[in-house]
Amino acid sequence: MDWDKFNKIFEGCELLGNKIHIKSRLHEVIQFVIENYPYDILKEIIAIHNQDGTVELVYHLYSTVDEEDLMISICVNDETDSIVDIFKSAEADEKEIFDLFGIKFKGHDNLKRLYMPENWDGHPLRKDYIQDDTRLCWNDDNDS
Amino acid sequence: MTTTTLKLNLGPQHPSTHGVLRLILELDGEKILSCEPDIGYLHRGMEKMAEQMSYIQYLPTVDRVDYLAGFFYSELLCRIVEGALCVELPEKVRVIRVMLLELNRMASHILWIGMFLMDLGATSPFFYTFREREMILRYFERISGQRMMYNYFVFGGVRRDINFLEDVEEILSILPSKLDDYEKLIEENPIFIKRVVNKGVLEKETALNYAITGVNLRASGVDYDYRKQDYLYKGFDIGKVILREKDSMARYRARILEIKESMKIVRQALDYLKKSSPLEQKLVNPINLKLPEGDYYADIEAPRGIASCFVRSTGEKEPYRLKWRTGSYYSVNLLRKLLVGEYLNDAIAIAGSLDIILPEVDK
Repeated sequence: MDWDKFNKIFEGCELLGNKIHIKSRLHEVIQFVIENYPYDILKEIIAIHNQDGTVELVYHLYSTVDEEDLMISICVNDETDSIVDIFKSAEADEKEIFDLFGIKFKGHDNLKRLYMPENWDGHPLRKDYIQDDTRLCWNDDNDS
Repeated sequence: MTTTTLKLNLGPQHPSTHGVLRLILELDGEKILSCEPDIGYLHRGMEKMAEQMSYIQYLPTVDRVDYLAGFFYSELLCRIVEGALCVELPEKVRVIRVMLLELNRMASHILWIGMFLMDLGATSPFFYTFREREMILRYFERISGQRMMYNYFVFGGVRRDINFLEDVEEILSILPSKLDDYEKLIEENPIFIKRVVNKGVLEKETALNYAITGVNLRASGVDYDYRKQDYLYKGFDIGKVILREKDSMARYRARILEIKESMKIVRQALDYLKKSSPLEQKLVNPINLKLPEGDYYADIEAPRGIASCFVRSTGEKEPYRLKWRTGSYYSVNLLRKLLVGEYLNDAIAIAGSLDIILPEVDK
């Protein structure tokens, strides 16, 4: 893709290998990319809880036309834009990230627990998730 | 007269949900107005577990991500480690892996044929397909000691040299006639045709938008097969299976044709292995194995769509974050769209045609 043009429109982006790290305006960036380049699949959204407390979201796009990958990443605190209106598959990914990382996606109207029980506290894949939780079977000894 | 809609729970314990999937359907008469899949009954925390284990401790568990295609997930984790440490695989290891992956794909698709037919109410094909799948599983057992959770691929190579090639020869000689039998038994059956032709039509744009990959996408007419760009398959002749009909029947046909293509790939691998010299490989020492700091990513064409693994390493013994992408997860999400407007009795047939396997969805 045309990096110079992209950088002019969305200032403050960094290019790291085949990954573009953006600061904000996630929805606009994804919209711009799919309108101007033939990326047609959102393969997955990867979430990583960083040491500094933010959650990095990596949007992995793929084009079946020219067989190219593109990663767009953004660091968020606890809320960001949903892109369900662009890619329906994001519905599944965003739900998973909400369950496991506690990120709320604005515009996603069906955010609820996916793997964990509905009344569960905390988000297990966060690095600050409690490790001595007595609800976990390997901490049973703490009960007695 | 007031009319109300009916909420119907399909599953989680239903023979045709291939595991434990619960579909909450809203019905108007027999017509489906909305569908809400509820998953998580099989969640084992594969990703959380990885963060507390070293790579070699984690390796035997990854077969369980999808128990019908265990080789694919072992291969993914091996690929991550080999990629990070810049290990080049000897040609023979590459060919062994390709042969086992393709046999695994055949076993998985054969099982699917039986399951799909059972979803449609035909019980006997299930036993026939199990008989054929058994030949492949017995071979896996002879080489790895396990029928389903193989743990045969290791970082830098395979656990031991390949053996019992005459078994593979036997599978390749018996299977084509059995596939012909299936086709005769299944495709000329008017009930089968009525239940799959023009049912669950998946348009190309919808499939792409819902991130459907693998056979389901190719049955909707998109030419996307990751094996073409895969370094493991370098030098192999891989046939294209692309259908244009887009319905459940196309997905069934695509899988039958894929088994035939896989057999051709296995034949190429087998011819190579018969002439090859004993295995020489240099395995990665798994004790105190640490990946250099960075992000690693690997893809593979698994039987249920593209599977991928993402690892972020901070230079420790354990991965900082490990994420699986599995094809079925997106197929379940697609049910929301695909079942709307269909009749209840077609719901099972359509869901079955997507080849959803629940351990892969729940991870």
